[in-house]
Amino acid sequence: MTGHSDSSSSEKKSNEEMNDVPVFSAENMQNNMKVIYYSRTFMSIIGGVIAGILGFTGFMGFVFYFLVMTITSIGLIAKAKFSVHLYVDSWNRIILDGFMGGLMSFVLFWTFAYDIVHIF
Amino acid sequence: MGLGFVVGIFGVLFLFHAAYSTIQYRGLLKIMEEEFSDPPMNVVLELLLGFVFCVSASLTVPGNFISIHPDSEENRIVSLPSSLDFTIFNHRAKALPFEVDMKLKH
Repeated sequence: MTGHSDSSSSEKKSNEEMNDVPVFSAENMQNNMKVIYYSRTFMSIIGGVIAGILGFTGFMGFVFYFLVMTITSIGLIAKAKFSVHLYVDSWNRIILDGFMGGLMSFVLFWTFAYDIVHIF
Repeated sequence: MGLGFVVGIFGVLFLFHAAYSTIQYRGLLKIMEEEFSDPPMNVVLELLLGFVFCVSASLTVPGNFISIHPDSEENRIVSLPSSLDFTIFNHRAKALPFEVDMKLKH
């Protein structure tokens, strides 16, 4: 190739003509994953506060968490203008990525808000 | 990003106000000695409004998605080195069989 890449942190997978390996820029992929992670964490916290204020207890709270995560996933897919393959490499990343980590934050803020509003 | 941030702040403020309203409502129920079943309808509406604000803030504040394909317009993988003293145009790559369509990235 007669050109050199300027950004030293951008890695690419090898692109032989014989193989069919898809090429993507890992640095941009990391940026997209960071955006998804921030969005999911913030929405988990907000969902926890709302569940605490509404007085959900037990199973209803987890159903509410699932609902909030679904709404967040739909929002992220809409933000990617429905052509998800341009920004992440598989559907699982944009749908399932921060699910378990967000659950911890959700339960924390859920109990916190519930205690403040309903007990004290 | 400034507008998204302000929208997020408003959403969180609506949530706090709804929490305060619910606390006052519970105090009222304790005085009247009734059971707490549901927050009043205006609190639910305020929570829904705050939720919508927070959803829109969480989608705009963290930043945009960048395309990961190397051949999209914003991802030119070819650029000249910034120090032109070390730029070499005449080297062995012209013997390679690739036919690459490249544009300069500034």
